[in-house]
Amino acid sequence: MTELNIIICVKQIPDPEAPLSDVSIDAENLEVVVDAPQVISPFDENALEAAIQLKEELDGKVTVLSMGKKLSDSVLRKALAAGADELILLEDNGFEKLDSHSTATVLAAAIKKIGSFDLVLAGRQAGDWDSGQVGLILGEMLGLPCISLAREITVEDGSVIVKKTVPEGYERVKAKLPALITVSNEVGELRYISRTRMLKMMRGGDIPAWTAEEIGVSDDAIEKMNIASLTTPPDMTRDCQFLEGSPDQQAAALVDVFVSLR
Amino acid sequence: MSAHRIMFWQIEYTWLFYLLSAIAVLLFLIGAGSHIWVWKKNSKSMSLKGVGHALNKMCIDIITGRRLIRGDMAAGLMHFLIFWGFFLLFIGTCVLVAHEHLFEFLEGARYLWFSVLMEIGGISLLVGIIWGLVRRYLQRVPRLERRAEDAILPLWFVLMVLSGFFLEGARLAANSPQWADWSFVGNWIAGLIPAAAAERLYPSFWWVHALLCLGFISVVCYSKMFHILSAPASIFFSSASPVLPPSIEDETGRLDVAEAVFYDGCMRCGRCVAACPSSGAGEAYAPRDFVQWARKQMWQTQFPLNDIRLWNRGDYEGTNESMWYCTTCRACLEVCPVYGAAFEAVAKERRQAVEKGTLVPTILNQTLEKLFRYDNPWESSKKQRGAWAEGLDIADLTKRGAVTDLCYFVGCTTSFDDRARSIAHSFTKILQLTGVNFGILGKKEPCCGDIARRVGEFGLFEEQKEKCKTLFDQYGITEIATSSPHCYHTLANDYPDSSFRARHYTMVLKELLKNKKLSFEKPLNVTVTYHDPCYLGRHNRIFNEPRDVIRAIPGLRLVEMEHSRENSLCCGGGGGRMWQDLKGERKMSEVRLEEAEATGAQILITACPMCLIMMEDARKAAGTREGFRVMDLNELLLEALENK
Repeated sequence: MTELNIIICVKQIPDPEAPLSDVSIDAENLEVVVDAPQVISPFDENALEAAIQLKEELDGKVTVLSMGKKLSDSVLRKALAAGADELILLEDNGFEKLDSHSTATVLAAAIKKIGSFDLVLAGRQAGDWDSGQVGLILGEMLGLPCISLAREITVEDGSVIVKKTVPEGYERVKAKLPALITVSNEVGELRYISRTRMLKMMRGGDIPAWTAEEIGVSDDAIEKMNIASLTTPPDMTRDCQFLEGSPDQQAAALVDVFVSLR
Repeated sequence: MSAHRIMFWQIEYTWLFYLLSAIAVLLFLIGAGSHIWVWKKNSKSMSLKGVGHALNKMCIDIITGRRLIRGDMAAGLMHFLIFWGFFLLFIGTCVLVAHEHLFEFLEGARYLWFSVLMEIGGISLLVGIIWGLVRRYLQRVPRLERRAEDAILPLWFVLMVLSGFFLEGARLAANSPQWADWSFVGNWIAGLIPAAAAERLYPSFWWVHALLCLGFISVVCYSKMFHILSAPASIFFSSASPVLPPSIEDETGRLDVAEAVFYDGCMRCGRCVAACPSSGAGEAYAPRDFVQWARKQMWQTQFPLNDIRLWNRGDYEGTNESMWYCTTCRACLEVCPVYGAAFEAVAKERRQAVEKGTLVPTILNQTLEKLFRYDNPWESSKKQRGAWAEGLDIADLTKRGAVTDLCYFVGCTTSFDDRARSIAHSFTKILQLTGVNFGILGKKEPCCGDIARRVGEFGLFEEQKEKCKTLFDQYGITEIATSSPHCYHTLANDYPDSSFRARHYTMVLKELLKNKKLSFEKPLNVTVTYHDPCYLGRHNRIFNEPRDVIRAIPGLRLVEMEHSRENSLCCGGGGGRMWQDLKGERKMSEVRLEEAEATGAQILITACPMCLIMMEDARKAAGTREGFRVMDLNELLLEALENK
């Protein structure tokens, strides 16, 4: 096999590295309000870089899938600017705040519609909810061998060899293609996409968008994420006091502090 | 009989000499032509202006060698001897040709003068070359390299001169004419050669000398010796066709003619390396090497034979990866004998790297992303930009009805960095104290685009520039004062056809001083030293304004550091370096801080938010004398004004 057909799933989220002052929690409406630009989830960007590097090395095709209620061209075309060949949006009013299983259902339906592929890549987890479920459920639904937390991916003789991050270091795991891999940040940052390249891509042709109906996903098959409660993180401001004086005086002062805390 | 010389005395096969001469000249012409061809192929269309002035500058530079003497007297004198020695001998040879083939005139007194000048030329060249060899191989001046051609070419010169003197000596020994004393060196050598052997040896000496000289002519264009043509050309083009600010429409990698000529005009003297603060701190970047890499790149892309040079062909692989070290401080251009800007070569390469994407270092990649998303490189919220001014009663020019004489463009670093914010606080306080009617743009203030421009993200710079221009037009802003020399430089130089005037705050303070708006009640008895920010001093020649303001403070003593004004050292924060994690043996800021401390001053004054942060961090990290402070000029001035 020479050419590699890669499908990569990316999620559009509000910038997870937004300044803290731009993030607030609406506990009443169970909503995290982020007043920040939309971006491609960082681990998905890592997966994109891995996919493009594989394509550069072996030739082939990179198809990017993204699902959501309202997706932004200007965010997702970055994948094309980075070197992906095709971008397909999965857009439907029903595709909002889906739980991991439902998200995987939609993606699986779309991938089945695309048909042929050698590799499916996804970020190890999304930068907003950090659940880390979708990739693995998707692999199960598609009946593919599935390797998580990839830090290095090589393809040879119809198999994929993945260095998979484990707490002690990494494991080398081999699987037959087609396979699904969730990618960790160790594969490397997505290459920089210059504004000129991005703007050129913005002027490119229309991006196909498939609805739930078109990929054959019925309303019953998907469920929204159910948030039970949402609270603002406790105030983490710290108060630091310096105890002055001789060691004896400092020790005495420290005892006073401990006593007062009891 | 009057004094004269018989041409081709004792020489047979003169046709062979003429044939070899023709070959040498042909090789020379092919080499020179190839250079011109490659320069033209690499350059955008060329437009010349101020040709007379450029020629004048070129001639004075060549004749006096002033650019070489400045900053390095020894090297300058050495070159002066070599240049004038070579030039005299070259002219002398041309005169001989004219005498032989056009009209005979070298007789009597004219011949004697000619003889004396040739002797002086030979001695001058020999002394200069030997001095050069001593500097390179015995003194081992750090900025000089020791590559193959650095030894071969000077030794070639030595042999040329010595063979010339010996051939002259043999001729004088054989003929002993009564005017031999005039050829004082040749005559001395004649004393060493037995008269009987002289006539027999003469033809051999003659042919050795002729072959060495013709060989030399042949290799000029294929070695660093080509600088005898390309250096003057570089001086000329740097003035007559200055490098234009790159525009977004330019094809990346395309050069201006002055750059193409400069790359070949560089003869690796290394003055830039000695001046470069990055090289000085032991970092992996040397402007000279970068220029040589760029030269090689230029030839590789256009020349069928890869490179025209005979030596150093395989070197400089991967040198371009050092491009992110350059702080664009302009120190290299300041000392370059042929007025070449290595930092512009870096900018060109950075632009290509940014377009390609894969060579952008991770931290810079992230910074550029943040810069695009939040319009500042500090990962701060746009909404927080005006936060420093809360409760200070400063007009917001974006609010209805606010009209002021001056817009204070605070800048990203001064708006967001805790230490640098104090520049905004003290400057606005001074403006308020002196009754200047000014306002700020609050949270609507955009980034001027300096970082994008310096790291080669031209698309982003173009977007930021348009945003700024639109905003300034929208609120009718015509007068701008900036905190940062970087914003000042960008607004003043990288915004062609702008409808506003941008100044750095030091220029505003100088004006307040001139208008007698600054009054001090009590003297401030401190000794201070001033660090010239690169983009204020070297890039925009604002050396005196800040010093005038500092000196106006009564009781204060200003002392200068070892490197000051155009020779100032960089703090290490410019050119996008603030947002990168590159290391050398030392930190540039620590090197600079040491110089400041060595002056005995109690306070290091600077006039740039980046310098302030860099120097303050260096002070904390390296530790200084008790009580040594790093201050912005505004902070010092406010302290003096409030000293009651």
